[in-house]
Amino acid sequence: MLKNHFKISIRNLWKNKTLSLLNLIGLSIGISSVLTLLFSVYAYYTADEYIPEKDKIVYLKTILKDGNNYREVPYPLLDQLVENSTEVVAGTHMHGWGNIWLEFEGRDFQKETSYANPEFFEVFELPLKYGDAKTALKEKYSVVLTNKVSQQIFGDINPVGKTLIGADTLNLKVTGVIEPISPYSSFRLGVLLPNTILEDNPIFKAQTNWSNSFSPIFLKLRANADITKLENQVDQLLKANYDDIATIADIKVMSFEAMRTNAIPVVDIIITSSIAAAFFILFIILVNLLNLNTSTMFSRTKTIAVRKVLGSTKRSLIIQYCIENGILVFTSILLSGFLFLSINLPRLNDTFGPEFGQISFDFLEDYPVVIGIILIGILSTLLVSVFPSLRFVKIPVTMGIKGKLQHIKHNFIWRNSFIILQFSIAILCISIAIILNTQIGYMKNADLGFQRENILVGHIDLDYKNIDVAQSKFNALLNTLESSPYVKSVSTSQSIPSDYYFNYSTYSDPVQNTDVRMRRSYADDSYLKTLEVPIIKGRHFDRNLDKADDHPAIINEAALKAFGWESIEGKRMKFKGNEESGYPIVGVVKDFHYQDLQNAVEPLVHIFRDRKRLEAHRFLTVRVQEGHEAAIENILTSTFNSIDSRKTYVQSRLADKVSGQYLLIEGILQTVSITAILAIFISSLGLFGLISFSAKRKVKEIGVRKVLGSSVSNIVILLSKDYIILVGIATLIAFPIAWYTMNLWLDSFAYSITIKWWMFGLAAFIALAITSLTLGLRAIRSAMANPVDSLKAE
Amino acid sequence: MLLELNHIYKWVKSGGRRVFLLNDLSLKIDEGEFLSLMGPSGSGKSTLLNVISMLDAFEEGEYYFDSEAVHDLSSKRKTGIFNENIGFIFQAYHLLDDLTVYENIETPLLYKKIKSSERKALVADMLDRFNIVGKKDLFPHQLSGGQQQLVGIARALIIKPKLILADEPTGNLNSAQSDDIMGLFKKLNQEGVTIIQATHSESNAGYGTRIVNLLDGSINKN
Repeated sequence: MLKNHFKISIRNLWKNKTLSLLNLIGLSIGISSVLTLLFSVYAYYTADEYIPEKDKIVYLKTILKDGNNYREVPYPLLDQLVENSTEVVAGTHMHGWGNIWLEFEGRDFQKETSYANPEFFEVFELPLKYGDAKTALKEKYSVVLTNKVSQQIFGDINPVGKTLIGADTLNLKVTGVIEPISPYSSFRLGVLLPNTILEDNPIFKAQTNWSNSFSPIFLKLRANADITKLENQVDQLLKANYDDIATIADIKVMSFEAMRTNAIPVVDIIITSSIAAAFFILFIILVNLLNLNTSTMFSRTKTIAVRKVLGSTKRSLIIQYCIENGILVFTSILLSGFLFLSINLPRLNDTFGPEFGQISFDFLEDYPVVIGIILIGILSTLLVSVFPSLRFVKIPVTMGIKGKLQHIKHNFIWRNSFIILQFSIAILCISIAIILNTQIGYMKNADLGFQRENILVGHIDLDYKNIDVAQSKFNALLNTLESSPYVKSVSTSQSIPSDYYFNYSTYSDPVQNTDVRMRRSYADDSYLKTLEVPIIKGRHFDRNLDKADDHPAIINEAALKAFGWESIEGKRMKFKGNEESGYPIVGVVKDFHYQDLQNAVEPLVHIFRDRKRLEAHRFLTVRVQEGHEAAIENILTSTFNSIDSRKTYVQSRLADKVSGQYLLIEGILQTVSITAILAIFISSLGLFGLISFSAKRKVKEIGVRKVLGSSVSNIVILLSKDYIILVGIATLIAFPIAWYTMNLWLDSFAYSITIKWWMFGLAAFIALAITSLTLGLRAIRSAMANPVDSLKAE
Repeated sequence: MLLELNHIYKWVKSGGRRVFLLNDLSLKIDEGEFLSLMGPSGSGKSTLLNVISMLDAFEEGEYYFDSEAVHDLSSKRKTGIFNENIGFIFQAYHLLDDLTVYENIETPLLYKKIKSSERKALVADMLDRFNIVGKKDLFPHQLSGGQQQLVGIARALIIKPKLILADEPTGNLNSAQSDDIMGLFKKLNQEGVTIIQATHSESNAGYGTRIVNLLDGSINKN
């Protein structure tokens, strides 16, 4: 019987080739994107699965009175907490201090480096591939590598016991290799070194007091720990010791599990929208199948009746129909698997890889996704077969055999609501894509307060092997550039727009005693001139007047407002708590967007630094006369390539760096756009199937109408107008939702566009154009048919 | 006695009034009969066949099939009796278009869950008997009307029914094909199968053992 069911099913699918093909295409593409979305969500949610007892791990978040917050806390807090708190079992620092250079057999490596306490492995009981977690970070000169780094340095061998030369001087013994970590994990590990190594470093030692916050700490709590109690204990320690207590509003204990979403807020949007998109696409393909199946059932009533006369039970009929759909669904799942592995996954990695890391599919580890998709397949099959067939197998034989279907209600309410929902989703996605695209365009092209065109940027922070040689070659380069007729301006600086440090410090006006938290950068006298940032008070730096030792400062407008100054005449500012006389303020620049437009312009200070000190700057910026970029680029590249350094020189253009800030959000746009295209495409496939059916059913009516003198266009309208109306209703539903959600999202951008009517108009036009085209193509074919043939066929 | 209908009424409501399809109809049919139902269009021939086959219900009256009181049975049991005992032959053949001749004949056996080897033997017998072995792999649309009806009969007979119901079995056939089918019916009847056919044709009715004339849902005594 089962064999028979299969045989019949395949013949039925073959008989309705066009429809089966439509379904197969829609399903395969749809399911492959559902698979992709589910897989990335799965990869994200399971990325930290390998960390045991992660629900007991917390970190601390400092919340300031001005609303800013950061994960860093004063260094001595950890020891105090571990010693005094009843709730803490173990704790560790985990912070960077520059990525260390590691040498092995003459080759140099520099990887993401973190410094932690020996208790790191008590807090994070990460599985080690090689080595013993208990002792791995105990020795001062030990190093733990991630599996990836270990393979890059040593290949596939067990490196425990081997020695790496760190920073040219340290003999570091490899004591452990951590099992592979998902790129979506909260950890960005590469090389793990014991904190004790840094204690020889006087700069580090100078920072490990209560006035500096540079190190996040992670705590393992006892079972059923009391968070409020812990927060109180933290609070007490801070009140007793912290220098800058007035600026802090609160220290919160945060769960480690939520750290990822706290770190990159947009991740939350990506994950939620992935789940929503998966659900939407699944819904759309199911509705298609459901509607098309219901339509095909009308042509099957006779067969069902005959089979019942021949002794078939209703159940057997339904089972046969399930198998028919099951074949379709599972063939599509197979195809979608291929699509997923060959197209979608590589694309996903292209889009989000640079930000989050590459993910790959491993059948043995990721089998829950496979099981999930099979379950979805089974449920979908049941849904799309049982519901349509249930109604039809109940038709009495005596009616069905004659094809008398008048008494079956053409229940279009469900079908129509589904179509409206499908298109609402599609139009919603199109609207979101249009609005987001406009926002990105706005951010990319907005007036940033500086001139980004024709500026070359050289990354000159290269770890030179011989700084004196490098410096002299650099001086020569500066002379060449300054004497070149094509170079308008040259400067060196610690930061460039799009790449400023998040180094907030509190500065105060010693006269008025106002405190302002600011970001700080060092720049030479021509940096702000090169960017063409207008001065609104005072003057630019001047190498003849200013001396680096005086720390002359130029603040931005935001800082000026924060200090509440009217003029900068005789104003100074100093580090909070520092007894020096402070920095003289020589000028105020107009606010310029030194970070992306998702963030507001925060108070910023530039402090003067001598241009020529190569190791004191990270960037060389050159404003070039238009059309001569390549020539100057050649000079820069060849000079830096001739200098012996550990890092490779990278050359870029400021305009690209600025646009590059929006890569992630462009990735989201890409996902939304693909979802939109899929949604409208698959929904249209469904409409195409439906209109094919009504055209077939109405073949006689069309024939009669044509004989009676109806024109082709009249018939096209007759066939398609109902569907066009449905799509019209869908637009009306989609717009308020799109407007509301996008307004909500745009609010999170410091600078955003306002949503305009034309954006919805465009979305509606796209949706209606695509559906009209789909419907029209099929309707015209029916309308053109010769009535003699269609009437004969009846 | 194979079946007995006592004072059967079947009606539909139309504009608040009852329109009688069967009106106080009583009929007894013995095993081995070859009964022809005659009467003009709308006289209730097909309705009566549907009622006898238990595919259609009736409003009032009693119906005994093989001494079971059909009017008291559940619809499931009725379907069961139908599937076991009755073969139906249609005017429009109603072969399953997607199945070959062989598969069409085999289908009722599949639903009765008969084993594959037995199925093969039964279908082969049937093909042999109707001389359509050479056509077993053809699809219905590749056959003539007469041949299709032959397959329809073979399909009805495969379950060895006690009763064959035929609704205008030759309505779509020419007279030569028609005579062949009627000859076949006669032969089947002689082999012991009870047959009830609805027909317009006097000559077809002549093959039967008894003629019942219907008019407006009742037996026309004249």
